[in-house]
Formats: sequence, C-alpha cells, structure tokens
Amino acid sequence: MQLRIIALWIGVALCLSVAPITAHHSNSAYEVEKVVTVTGTVKSWKWTNPHTWLTLTVQNEKGETVDWELEGRAPGVLGRIGWDRTVLKAGEKVTVHMSPAKDGSRVGIIARVTKADGTILGNSAPAQ
Amino acid sequence: MNKMTASTMCTVMLCSAIAWVSVEIHGQSPFTPAPPDFSGVYYPAPQGGGRGGAAPAGGQRGATTTPPPPTRSAPTGDLSNGRQPTAPLLTPEYMAKWEVIRKSRMSGSYEYDPIANCLPPGMPHMMSMAYGMEIMQTKDRITFFSEWQDALRRVYLDGRKPTQKILNDPTYAGYSTGHWEGDTLVVDTVALHPDSFIDSSSPHSEEMTVKERIRFISPGVLEDRITVTDPKALTKPWETVHTYRKAAPPNDELREFACAEGLRGSPR
Repeated sequence: MQLRIIALWIGVALCLSVAPITAHHSNSAYEVEKVVTVTGTVKSWKWTNPHTWLTLTVQNEKGETVDWELEGRAPGVLGRIGWDRTVLKAGEKVTVHMSPAKDGSRVGIIARVTKADGTILGNSAPAQ
Repeated sequence: MNKMTASTMCTVMLCSAIAWVSVEIHGQSPFTPAPPDFSGVYYPAPQGGGRGGAAPAGGQRGATTTPPPPTRSAPTGDLSNGRQPTAPLLTPEYMAKWEVIRKSRMSGSYEYDPIANCLPPGMPHMMSMAYGMEIMQTKDRITFFSEWQDALRRVYLDGRKPTQKILNDPTYAGYSTGHWEGDTLVVDTVALHPDSFIDSSSPHSEEMTVKERIRFISPGVLEDRITVTDPKALTKPWETVHTYRKAAPPNDELREFACAEGLRGSPR
C-alpha cells in the first residue's frame, strides 16, 4: 500500500515536471500537404495570438459527436484578409478544409473555412 | 562698387563658407541630397509584386467565383523536403546540428523551434518580416519593428561602435550600426545570440555577422540585400534578398502579436 502511494506521488511529480505544451510553433506538427474536409458546428472561435483556434463539433463515422481543435493563422494576418473576432459564431455550421496533426489527435491546421452561405474564408491574401 | 557693398558681399561669402564647412563637419554637404526616408509600414513583396508573404492559396472572403479546393494548408515546414539550393552552405559540424533539427521537426516536435517558445526570430531571419514591418527613422537611428513575434531591432547611425561589453553580450537582434552611402543604408550587425537560426532552420555560431544594404529600388519598394558571414558555421558567406512594399491606409497599421497569450490553455 505504502509502495502504491509512493508510486502515485512519483507519477504526480513527473506530470508536474513536464514542460507546458508549446503554444506557438511552425507547422511541423501537421501533415500540411494532406487536406481533408470536415463539416460541423462551431463550438467556439478564439481570436488569440499567436494562433486563432476553432473548436468544431463533428459527427464521426460511428455517429458520435467529437470535437476538433483547428488552428488558424494569427489575428494580425487574418484581420487583413477579412476575418475578425466574431466572424465565426457558436452554433453556426461550417465546412473546413484542414490538415490533420501527425500524431493522430483530433487537431488540425486550417486551410479554408466555408460558411453556410458560401462565404469562403481563406488563410492567405489573394495573389496580386 | 562702394566700400559698403564690398564689405557686405565679403560678409555674406564668409558666412556661407562657415556654414558649408559646418555642414561638412556634420557629415552632409549642401550638395548631397538628404538620405531617403524609409519610415512606414511594409509587407513582403515576393517576386511578381504580390502582398502578404509566403502563404499558400486558400481563397478569399467574398470571392465571386469559388476558388479550387486547397491542396495544402501551409508551406512545408518540417524540413522533410531537405535543404534547398538557396539555403546557407553549412560546415560539416553545423550540418550535423541541422540533421538533428530536421529529425526533430519531422517527428512533429517543436524542441528545436525557438519561435514555438515565443522567442524572437533574431537576425537575419527576422528580416523576412513575414507579417509586416514598421520602420521608424530619425537622423541618428532607424528602428525596425516586426509584427511577427513583436520583434524589434535598432540601427545606430550616429557613428557609435559596439564596445567589448556589447560584444560579450549577444542578443537575438544583435547590435547594429549603419551609415548612408548615397541612397543606400549600409548596416553591420554583430553580437548575435547563437540560439536562433540564419533562416528558418540553419544554426549558426556566436561568430556570425550580418551586413545589409537597404535602399528603395522603385517608389515604395524597399530592398534589403543581406550577406551573412560565419567562419564556424558557413563554408562561404550566404546572401539573400528581401523586398518589401510600403502599405497605404488602412493597411498601414500592424497588430499586437503578444505571443505569450497562446501559452495559456492553447490546444497546441
């Protein structure tokens, strides 16, 4: 019993000693050359640096509802190409072209968001 | 000519000569045009004159015709495509370091990505100015501010030189001094922290130095020709060129970046 408690505390200590997950990064975590399409309902839209985040509730192939965490570009960049803090609202239905994370988690990086009315939110300025 | 007129003319000529010498002493002949004013907000202007930096095509809000679906979400950044022909030529020692970085990136790790930890991109990588830059210019100083990572560097134009104390204290932006050669700003940067990359992934030593020649190549288009020298990390100096286009209102405002905001509760 005492051994188990010691093991538990060692586990807790190890968890606490792990560095916090980095928040700003290059795109090496994603399979950027693979684009998949998901349609779902916006759960939240966070207009934060260094990346914006869209949480999308999607029905998977088993009929279960799951959440995807989808990374967008920085507010400064998106703000210059038509996005803003309220461009995506909780409850609205959107289709997202995105690249999934290499580790198989339900995390992706956004290539494009298409709203129900057909409005397209791209992730870069149009070519000039 | 009477005595009075001759005396007045002599006085005027003497005063003019004194003024000329005085201006020459302060480094600017009355016949030398004033240096150009670089002040303003700029965005990268890749070849072809586009705006907005290296970003993949992804469509546009309110497009009248539906653009084709994107085939990628971002440029390949995990180094899986190897070293490009234009990349700095690394010595075997630094190539071995790069291979470690590449292996880490390809696994999806951010261990060797200082940007991932909200560190400044450093010189010369910061001059890609991918998210735009603001230049603030006075006679004695030019300040470059990058929206990406809120990075900042100062270039001193008043003739000061880096002291030994400065050389012993490397920083990400380094220590920059500059002077005008006609319409070109020539900048030398030293005291650079080795915990950053030359480009997006090439490591360098504490002996790296950077020389820049910055000028307008056409109205509103600024060019920065960069030469990087590093006897430990490079087999020969590496040259690269960045071009920026001056922004007009309302695009002449950069946004706060505040990288640390994402350290709180972000999924990645």
